[in-house]
Amino acid sequence: MAEEKSPSVLGKVGKDLLKAFNTGVSYFIPIVVVGGVFLAFSLATGTAGKDGIEVTNPLMQSLNLIGMAGIKMMIPVLAAYIAYSLGGKPALAPGFVLGYLASNPVPVGGVQVSTGFLGAMVLGVAAGYLVQWMKSWKVNSTIRTIMPILIIPSLSSLALGMLYIYVLAAPLGAFMDWLTSLLSSLQGGSAVVLGIVIGLMTAFDMGGPVNKTASTFTMALMTAGVYGPNGAFRVAVAIPPLVCGVASLIARSKFDDTDRQMGISAVFMGLIGITEGAIPFAVKDLAHTLPAIMIGSAVGAGLAAWHGIECFVPHGGMIVAAATNNIALYTLDMAIGVAVGVAILVLTKPKLEDNKEHTARNACTF
Amino acid sequence: MNVVAVCACTVGIAHTWMAKEAIEKECERRGYEFKVEAQGGYGIENELEQDEVDAADVVLLAIAIGIEGDERFDEKRDEGRVLTLDPSLAIADPAKVIDQVVALAE
Repeated sequence: MAEEKSPSVLGKVGKDLLKAFNTGVSYFIPIVVVGGVFLAFSLATGTAGKDGIEVTNPLMQSLNLIGMAGIKMMIPVLAAYIAYSLGGKPALAPGFVLGYLASNPVPVGGVQVSTGFLGAMVLGVAAGYLVQWMKSWKVNSTIRTIMPILIIPSLSSLALGMLYIYVLAAPLGAFMDWLTSLLSSLQGGSAVVLGIVIGLMTAFDMGGPVNKTASTFTMALMTAGVYGPNGAFRVAVAIPPLVCGVASLIARSKFDDTDRQMGISAVFMGLIGITEGAIPFAVKDLAHTLPAIMIGSAVGAGLAAWHGIECFVPHGGMIVAAATNNIALYTLDMAIGVAVGVAILVLTKPKLEDNKEHTARNACTF
Repeated sequence: MNVVAVCACTVGIAHTWMAKEAIEKECERRGYEFKVEAQGGYGIENELEQDEVDAADVVLLAIAIGIEGDERFDEKRDEGRVLTLDPSLAIADPAKVIDQVVALAE
């Protein structure tokens, strides 16, 4: 890159922001999983009431508390590590504080507004850049020692916290409300289109940035009380590894023994909602795997959107089936998506003998 | 040629390791000295010490996220000997990526 001209300022900002969002997501995923898995277990034992699912068993209520603690942490962690990516260690404190602020209601003109994900992303970026700039201040050596622990965290939290409460919260909150009402009013055809797009994004890079964009989007809506897109997404995440695993186990002439071993773990990963389980298959044979899993996920997510499947936890696969509004349809939509994907993969993939050359050429194209 | 590299993808369970392996294989094939640090889901593995970074001719950062210990590479960055790119590029075409890295050393 040294011989290249320095990229435009805008290009660099875009690159930095993408890296920042990826960093935030990378740290927040394990937290989401903790929250999602425990919530799924506890909600699975509850009964559906008019305010959603009610959990009555005391042990399950405790699991619910642990899960909720995870869910409450996820937005502050997201904001903190977005800020960290841009501003380094001193940006962590304002990131956490401002993310917590965004995830909790603040009063705006007499009403309580919380901006969740959107607020956390905006404040995380703002804190990151502000800290980056504050680090460049020329100060004398006495003050320099207290900059990272006292001055930078308190000044940046104060400035951005005030800016958020008095200026940003109102428009961001209004935007979230608009998005929420728009998406909750989606029905029939337009909901299916959204479901298909979510399905395609989910399978496209099997857990990479495109997939995480879809997941962040559906979780943002979930925190705003819209559970439909999350339902479609949670059906879709399980499909790519299940398609690869099931195909490897039934089409014996098209997969070798190593594939079948990977296949068993892929099925397991699919059931617990980890899309990355499909990656080994895609690496070996991207050209046949990718279309099959993308179509399979799109079919499953499209069906789920059409059926109005809602998922109440930010995690996917069969283990959360009980935390959806319709266990039977959730399972059926996933099964149909898998069946379609398996059919395409098995029909298009050549037999092993004439496959060798092909595989070598396709290796590591992902 | 002495190459040090850091790999880190978004989730840290798949691409990080695929990129690490691709870079290591390519460097080995060419007979270079190399050490590749991975910052995956478990945190830092095969960590690069400052003196190892100092001794390297070039630094390759195959990263999709902000990494820990980025300041280790500040000096090399000032010398224009750091190449930063997405891990998927190192997986897709390690030979081309190593060519680019080597070009920085000359």
